[in-house]
Amino acid sequence: MSRFFAGSDSDSDSSSEEEVIQRPVVPTYTFSDDEEEVKRVVRSAKEKRYEELTNIIKQIRNYKKIKDMSSMLTSFEEIQKAYQKAIPVINKEENGQTPRFFIRCLAEMEDFINEMWEDREGRKNMSKNNSKSLTSMRQKLRKYLKDFEEDLVKFRENPEQPDDEEEDEKVEAEPDSENEAASKNQFLKAPAKQQVVDDKEESSDDDDDWPSDSETSSTSSEDDEGKYAGKYNRKRFLKDRGPEHEDDEEKERKKDEKRKERKEKDRRKIKKEDEEDGEGEWETVRGGVAIPSEKPKMFAKDAEIDLNLVIKKLSEIMAARGKKRTDRREQIELLHELQNVSEQHQLGAAISVKIKLAIISAIFDYNPKVSDAMKPEYWLKLLERMAEMLGVLLNANNLVVSDTITEELENLEEPPYRIRGCVLTSVERLDDEFTKLLKECDPHSNEYVERLKDECKVSNIIDKTMQYLERTNVPSELCRIYLRKIEHLYYKFDPRVLQQKSGDAALKDEYTSVQEMEKLCKFIYAKDNTDRLRTRAILSHIYHHALHDNWFQARDLVLMSHLQETIQHSDPSTQILYNRMMAHLGLCAFRHANIKDAHNCLVDLMMTGKPKELLAQGLLPQRQHERSKEQEKIEKQRQMPFHMHINLELLECVYLVSAMLIEIPYMAAHEFDARRRMISKTFYQQLRSSERQSLVGPPESMREHVVAAAKAMRNGNWSACNNFIINEKMNAKVWDLFYQADQVRDMLTKLIKEESLRTYLFTYSHVYDSISMQTLADMFDLGKPVVHSIISKMIINEELMASLDDPTQTVVMHRSEPSRLQSLALQLADKINNFVDSNERILETKQGNFFLRGANQGNFRGDRQNYRGSTNQNWDRQRRDRDRNREKDNY
Amino acid sequence: MAKFDLTSKMGQYLDRHLVFPLLEFLSAKGIYNETELLKAKLDILSKTNMIDYAIDIRKQLYPDEEIPDDLKQRRNHVVSQLQELQQEVEPILTVITDEEVMKNMESMRDSKTLINFLSKDYKFEIEMIDSLHKLAKYRYECGNYSVSTSYLYFCLLVLPPNDKNYLSVLWGKFASEILYQNWDSALEDLNKLREYIDSNPNQFSGNSLHLLQQRTWLIHWSLFVFFNHAMGRELIIEMFLYKPHYLNAIQTMCPHILRYLATAVIINRGRRSALKDLVKVIQQESYTYRDPITEFLEHLYVNFDFDGARQKLHECQTVLLNDFFLISCLDEFVENARLMIFETFCRIHQCISISMLAEKLNMNPDEAECWIVNLIRNARLDAKIDSKLGHVVMGAQPLSPYQQLIEKIDSLSVRSETLCGLIDRKLRAKTDTRWVNQDF
Repeated sequence: MSRFFAGSDSDSDSSSEEEVIQRPVVPTYTFSDDEEEVKRVVRSAKEKRYEELTNIIKQIRNYKKIKDMSSMLTSFEEIQKAYQKAIPVINKEENGQTPRFFIRCLAEMEDFINEMWEDREGRKNMSKNNSKSLTSMRQKLRKYLKDFEEDLVKFRENPEQPDDEEEDEKVEAEPDSENEAASKNQFLKAPAKQQVVDDKEESSDDDDDWPSDSETSSTSSEDDEGKYAGKYNRKRFLKDRGPEHEDDEEKERKKDEKRKERKEKDRRKIKKEDEEDGEGEWETVRGGVAIPSEKPKMFAKDAEIDLNLVIKKLSEIMAARGKKRTDRREQIELLHELQNVSEQHQLGAAISVKIKLAIISAIFDYNPKVSDAMKPEYWLKLLERMAEMLGVLLNANNLVVSDTITEELENLEEPPYRIRGCVLTSVERLDDEFTKLLKECDPHSNEYVERLKDECKVSNIIDKTMQYLERTNVPSELCRIYLRKIEHLYYKFDPRVLQQKSGDAALKDEYTSVQEMEKLCKFIYAKDNTDRLRTRAILSHIYHHALHDNWFQARDLVLMSHLQETIQHSDPSTQILYNRMMAHLGLCAFRHANIKDAHNCLVDLMMTGKPKELLAQGLLPQRQHERSKEQEKIEKQRQMPFHMHINLELLECVYLVSAMLIEIPYMAAHEFDARRRMISKTFYQQLRSSERQSLVGPPESMREHVVAAAKAMRNGNWSACNNFIINEKMNAKVWDLFYQADQVRDMLTKLIKEESLRTYLFTYSHVYDSISMQTLADMFDLGKPVVHSIISKMIINEELMASLDDPTQTVVMHRSEPSRLQSLALQLADKINNFVDSNERILETKQGNFFLRGANQGNFRGDRQNYRGSTNQNWDRQRRDRDRNREKDNY
Repeated sequence: MAKFDLTSKMGQYLDRHLVFPLLEFLSAKGIYNETELLKAKLDILSKTNMIDYAIDIRKQLYPDEEIPDDLKQRRNHVVSQLQELQQEVEPILTVITDEEVMKNMESMRDSKTLINFLSKDYKFEIEMIDSLHKLAKYRYECGNYSVSTSYLYFCLLVLPPNDKNYLSVLWGKFASEILYQNWDSALEDLNKLREYIDSNPNQFSGNSLHLLQQRTWLIHWSLFVFFNHAMGRELIIEMFLYKPHYLNAIQTMCPHILRYLATAVIINRGRRSALKDLVKVIQQESYTYRDPITEFLEHLYVNFDFDGARQKLHECQTVLLNDFFLISCLDEFVENARLMIFETFCRIHQCISISMLAEKLNMNPDEAECWIVNLIRNARLDAKIDSKLGHVVMGAQPLSPYQQLIEKIDSLSVRSETLCGLIDRKLRAKTDTRWVNQDF
């Protein structure tokens, strides 16, 4: 519980400082202890008692770390009892000399309590239970300490002296029986003296406190820095130096201890086995060469490093993971060190994979905030480790890494190796981190480019993971990794595809990305049972097809997937992908001269006026706090990295041009039509805004160009229109962005001619009695068959009241355009019709279906016609409506 | 010629036995190498029990070689097996031959009462049906389609629709009827089968792929019926074009069926309205499938390219001539296609020279003139011939705005009246009589 209530942030930050002091002790203890336990089965009374004590001490240390006062209090009581029990042993074995580790513990505890007491701020924030315990603890401790005053003073004189000395001392101190008696006396007298000494003790306590006091202050100042560092990245770098220094000191100290421990071990070993010893020494020497001296030492110099040892060490390091006071950076370093050691001793693939997994997760842990990107140096490390690990995994055949393997089932010693862990999740996390990292960079800087170079490596890692997972062949996992692969693949343009399509013989058998996508996606379609993966795969697949001009495949996939209906219910990132897909589908349709489809694909994106936001390519500037900080953060997370962006100007231009090609003839045809609807709102806005200007200059921006072109087209002036759309400025801005720009331009010119011809006929047919097709063909620079076909189409669709005169090759106008009065009358009739319709509908909704829906029956057929797209309302609503009208008239 | 041949594509969706007529047709046309065809036949036969037929073909293929022993052995085996099966279902066979009982049975629609009735009077056991089903299959494999039909008919009477064999019985019956060339009952079976597939989509345990496959088979098999039955041309449009499930199946699995659909629409003069829908589908699928027939429609109705249409019409004739299903309607097709070209032409033009028309229709001018005169006389065309210039002049029929207006408001008064009447009636029914006299 205390972890939760542990107080302010500053407290938790300071933890690293304290932990640094204590931690080295912990491992040494547990280490040596374990060693002894394993070797000796029969334990002496001393052993037993001491073990009890050390266990409790360990506990106390833990509580200290997490500042759990109440538990500490109970442990303190326990240790008192345990010590009481141990007294006979101590008296016998150590001549009444209080064991040093016990004293050390007491001293530390005292320091800690005082420190806590001093920290008023912290005390205030403490939970009630804890603060109560703290006070009682303080009093009890003070009382208890009086018994050990002498020892404590001794200890404080030389606190750095390691505990092992106690054993040495033991040997030396044997004849020293006076000492024993003295201590005994002291012990017996203590309760009586208690009252008297109280004051004195207080003062001495203060003295003792002094160093620790300064420590707290230093921590607190550090804390402040830490707080700022969280906000300003720069400061964090500056601050870094501080802990490093301390770390060095720390390491020094630890090294000392280690050395001593080593000595002791040496001695023990020499007694046992000489040969082994020699071997161990040999190996550590070799290690010494490889490891730079600043690095923390893992094992005793001549310790026999074997698998068990390394595993133990690893689990020890990993046990500290996620704890508050663990220094994450040091953990990474320790793990690296361990990795080096294990590599030098060639302990096998399994352990190295295990360590690498641990390193990877440690690096992931390094960043406390999920939303922030990791530091580049760690990123590089992560990449390397990941690549190495996958390399090992791919080379070793008898190695299974899986998260279904429990710790008990782990087998690192002999093949078949089994390791707990999940490569896939790590790779996924790595990929996510990569996107985060890219988003962090300024897209126009070199830094971004540098980072982007890692894309190859990430893709490589994903490829390797794919290979690895294909070996185990679990469909759900394969689906996940395939999707990752797809997400790295779908937005990349592969020019070979188009070359192959155009019949380049050299590339005939090449395996292009389209084929790869096909393979991956098909697997996901077949094997996936979460809907999300499949949806994303479909969307990416369509995107990829659209990118490579496979218009029909892309269109069919869209229509068959029926995603348009359900996409509103999916998560934002999938919706973004959907929008991106639609954008590219629109571009693809445009390249294929399917202007209506292009328009319909893009209209949803462009109508809102914020395609940037819909494509997650940047946030709109904040307007009156539309979104809270939280929202903005979430939205920022969703943004696409820059290299995946779709050019918005291109998108808008394509949209406006297709709107122009549809809208202008439509406007001309329905000039007096009361029911005329806008096809594209945005296009109208552009037109109107230019009309409002009193003076229109030559066009500058892309939009102005399109508007000017639209105006030219209205008059049927195709060449002017063409020049406005296709000129150097527009080429540079827009058209050159297409892969086969010339083809697109040719297509555009052709379409402009055709639509201009239509507009011309709509607008000026009333001034002609008849017009020769040859003249029209010359005017619009089109072939005569094309003109013939266009006019035929218009006649059949009853857009043009005319007929052809075959012998003279002319178009004869029927001049049946209604006069003003007639057209007004027609409009009135239309309105009355609507009125009656709505009347009937009202009655229908009120009373159920009484009418034969004679008027509507035609509509059903219209729906049926393209049932494939019928669910896609936007797909070709316009066309269908028009067809329906036409059809009614025809039949 | 082989370019437009669809047999290989169709074959994968047809039963072995159904492929034979196609192969026979091909060998008669002589587009492919004769020995290759024979080999294919032999290959198909190897999995059936038509051993005699296989032996015949073998003789044709390798006149010098002896007939291998295993074939002979298999023949004996087949015969013995047949007898064995026959004995098992002896009681049923006696029932089937008894006309009186069959009539009785037909009057009973419920399979349960039927089973009761049979088991009471004729030592019938339900397990026998399984054997009968097996026997029918065996007969079918041997090529005795008519016998197998009657057996399967019995099965259908007795089996409840949720039986596991029901579907396969339906398919078997359908195939035997087709091969027996009994088109009326084949059509009946087709409808039954389609209903069964469409109404129980759950029986394929939600496996839509399986469902799609069943539909694709049905589409292919039904071609036999549609192009042989008198009503077929009407029904094929109904089923392929206006049943979304089947149109879907065609678009996803077998766009080549569009050829048959297109032909059916073209030769069906009464269904011109279907053209529009068809053209849309053809355009949508133009990248996966195109042949002269679909291109003809595209030229005529999308691009209004009459020259292209004429050319394609020419190609269409050879395609039709070499298609098993379509060869019977070649003349009809040409006639109707011409008419279509001409109709469209007339809609667009005011004045056409006969010589040009004749050229577009692949006719000589005199013939064309005669043709047009006939059309005019049958009042299908409002036109006059200017024989001096050799022109056909269309009767001008532009709709005047006045007429348009009248047309638009024509129905308004009637509709309003019915609306009023309806409200009136409603009110009267709902409220007391005192409301009746009151105006509102």
